[in-house]
Amino acid sequence: MAHRTVEYAVSRSPEMGVTGEPAHAPLFPVDMPEPPLSSEHMLINLGPQHPATHGVLRLVCELDGETVLRVIPHIGYLHSSFEKLGEYRTWNQVVTLTDRMDYLSPLIYNCAYVMAVEKLAGIEVTERCKVFRVILMEMERIFSHLLWLGTTAIDVGAFTPFLYAFQEREKIYKLHEKYTGARITTSATRVGGMMADIPDGWIDELKAFVAEVPRTIDEIDLLLTTNGIHLGRTQNVGMISGEDALNHGLTGPNLRASGVPYDLRKDNPYYDYETYDFDVPIGEHGDCYDRYLVRMEEMRQSVRILLQAIERLPGGAMDVADPHVTLPSKTDCMNDMESMIHHFKLIMEGLKVRAGDCYFPVEGSKGELGMYLVSDGGGKPVRWRIRPPSFVNLSVIAKLAQGHLVSDLIMINASLDIVLGEIDR
Amino acid sequence: MTEREPALARDSALDAVEAGPSAVSGAPVRLDEASASHPSVDALRARFGDAVRHHEVSAGDQHVVYVDAARNREILGWLRDDRAAHYDLLADVTAVDFGAGRPLQVVYQLWSMRHRRALRVKCELPLSHLVIDSVEPLWKTADWLEREVYDLFGVKFSGHPDLRRILMPENYAEGHPLRKDFPLRGRFSRAEQTRRALSQDPHDHYIPAELEIGRDPQAAPGAPRQHPEPPAKRPSTNRPLTRGK
Amino acid sequence: MGLNEGRLPGGGVTSRPGGLPLVGAGGPTFLTTKVDFVVNWARRNSLWPMPFGTACCAIEMMAAAASDFDVARFGMERMSFSPRQADVLICAGRVPYKLAPVLRRIWDQMPQPKWCVSMGACASSGGVFDAYSMVQGIDTIVPVDVYVPGCPPRPEALLYGLLMIQEKIREESLARHGEHRAEDPLRAGTPEATEEEVAGLTGPFGNSTRQNRVGGLVRTDRPDRPDDRQP
Repeated sequence: MAHRTVEYAVSRSPEMGVTGEPAHAPLFPVDMPEPPLSSEHMLINLGPQHPATHGVLRLVCELDGETVLRVIPHIGYLHSSFEKLGEYRTWNQVVTLTDRMDYLSPLIYNCAYVMAVEKLAGIEVTERCKVFRVILMEMERIFSHLLWLGTTAIDVGAFTPFLYAFQEREKIYKLHEKYTGARITTSATRVGGMMADIPDGWIDELKAFVAEVPRTIDEIDLLLTTNGIHLGRTQNVGMISGEDALNHGLTGPNLRASGVPYDLRKDNPYYDYETYDFDVPIGEHGDCYDRYLVRMEEMRQSVRILLQAIERLPGGAMDVADPHVTLPSKTDCMNDMESMIHHFKLIMEGLKVRAGDCYFPVEGSKGELGMYLVSDGGGKPVRWRIRPPSFVNLSVIAKLAQGHLVSDLIMINASLDIVLGEIDR
Repeated sequence: MTEREPALARDSALDAVEAGPSAVSGAPVRLDEASASHPSVDALRARFGDAVRHHEVSAGDQHVVYVDAARNREILGWLRDDRAAHYDLLADVTAVDFGAGRPLQVVYQLWSMRHRRALRVKCELPLSHLVIDSVEPLWKTADWLEREVYDLFGVKFSGHPDLRRILMPENYAEGHPLRKDFPLRGRFSRAEQTRRALSQDPHDHYIPAELEIGRDPQAAPGAPRQHPEPPAKRPSTNRPLTRGK
Repeated sequence: MGLNEGRLPGGGVTSRPGGLPLVGAGGPTFLTTKVDFVVNWARRNSLWPMPFGTACCAIEMMAAAASDFDVARFGMERMSFSPRQADVLICAGRVPYKLAPVLRRIWDQMPQPKWCVSMGACASSGGVFDAYSMVQGIDTIVPVDVYVPGCPPRPEALLYGLLMIQEKIREESLARHGEHRAEDPLRAGTPEATEEEVAGLTGPFGNSTRQNRVGGLVRTDRPDRPDDRQP
């Protein structure tokens, strides 16, 4: 550490010189070489409780002045032992855990989990269920991106988009609530179907929402996309090339912003996504601005998919007509003994899933969301593993933030769209 | 999956619950010639011979190949770099403990962008020797994923640049939670867990490399940093303190 | 100026008991009331919450701050992310043991007077997360004034919880300030609950355990391995 010390040749008072005569220049430095400017590295601890870390993320930074030399992320401050708890629950009970993991897009997690179980058990769900799950998952993509948009805008100093985004989110909350009874913790899916059929009027409300949301997206677009402050904070910040992004395992909008057109809905389609007409937005530079643009466009594409899915939603049964997996009707349970026992056994022992393992990835709102299940043929998973998209996405932050300023670190962290519940599990 | 079993009559539904759902039409999964083999597995067999232990198809169409744990980095590196295989995305690294002394499996999920093909590679490790080569030099993804496996299962990845716990605290003393022999609520009592959580020194939250940051360069490297003595604490009474009565 | 025109000799009293003092046009420009009332009125209508949001409940807390529910109606829109300027700690979400010292430190950093709201099932009792890494209720770590049930609670529930804090403040008196607000500085950083109370959480209870035993489908044989306790 350098101390800049300058000695002044003034003895007693400014008016008096050294020998007592009046001095015109009261202060004059002694001729001495100035030591070279240098700085020392500084340790800054950000979090785990910090408004800009989007949860209980902790970043330990080594700074030189305001420049970030190194970032060491510390996670695990929200480790809730989901995977261990899953081993103690029946296949259907695990659903309630999935939506507490990513509380920004709970229905995608509900769907992804049961889709993996169905894949492992060899259950083919009905057409109505498939289309309805597509509707739910695309709705959640908008839901999640809106929250990302609002909180990221706050991080660059814009509060209005947060309020706009939350107004739209409240509409999705109402849709959640009308269908599942809960605003966030939906637990809407069951193996082989859904918790219930679509309530009356729900589709109409969804249509009203789908008609309105593009307007709000356009409004936020107007506020941010060409906003000088926003451009200055996001362009050329946190750039990563497509090759590096792939090597670091980035998926989802973060990877696509770097120019790699990897979208599981196109590349490894499930639920007939290949028959929907939609585009996958691709970025060019891989910086925060491109990630912003990709997510904005994804919301519009989700609206397109929603419109098509609403059109093609068929009638018929929601659950598979298979007594292995589907509960008997309540009327039957109350009227005959066999149905009662059937119901009891399915609830208490859980449905049985054939032995084996299965990895089922879906395109979550944050990237490739994989569910890896291992069964020994029993009523509970031997292992339930979530391939966490934002866990892997976050691991790249140390590379992205190097050489940027601290305020850019906040922007980079926000642009990765992380959710700590799923990172720490 | 064209035809589904018709709904069973009610009196046979109970048997069905006992049996559990089988694959389509109740028959075991039958694989045609095309799906029973996987081009990358054949290529692996041709190149690595005995190091490819076993190949199976799971969940209908997912290919799993068991390879020699001692050669995992070599095989995975070849899978990444070979033009015909070209698995450029390491989607996941995880582990499975089956309990009852069975070997622990380390699982790699691979995806090839070019060929749009997936492959699952497994390595089996005996519980007495949980050491395997790290694939972090091949994919940076593996950095955190392997740390997580180390944290939750205790598998040591040799060659990993920064192998330490990631989710649990660095000084977590109860073991590796996702092992089957680890009780759901941990090994210690809740009182002990609470006491340990709150009695940590603030410096336990930093790794040594972080504590070196900003150190006076004149000080000897590795010398302990001088900290002021914390004020003496008297033993807590755990009673609400009342004043002014 | 209050005594001009001799209208209110001896100091007029224009406050209604329990309500806001009324000062009309042309009325006296001073008022008398109880110090307790004024202090509590000011305190409870300008609470600055410290949002300790960790998980799902934090999203509902954000919804409560957004336009539909608008916590600003109660004077609490100024979220104070710095504990030194905060009055109410809202612990929204689950708290693992790794986060417990952080929570305790933030509580210790908050100056008196301060209150604590435990929002949601996980913060209040551990919720569904009766597992190795989770604190079974933050009242083992910090003193809690109001528990808001729900998983997660609706924003209205959080608002109701905050109104209950306001009610609690209304009951306080400066004369008993020492009693209400005393804090032993030496207990900073230590658990709030006694060892016995925390130990009571150890025993196998709760839903998850029983379901595990009935099902018995998870193979939980314990092979004897001597190194098991070694991390």
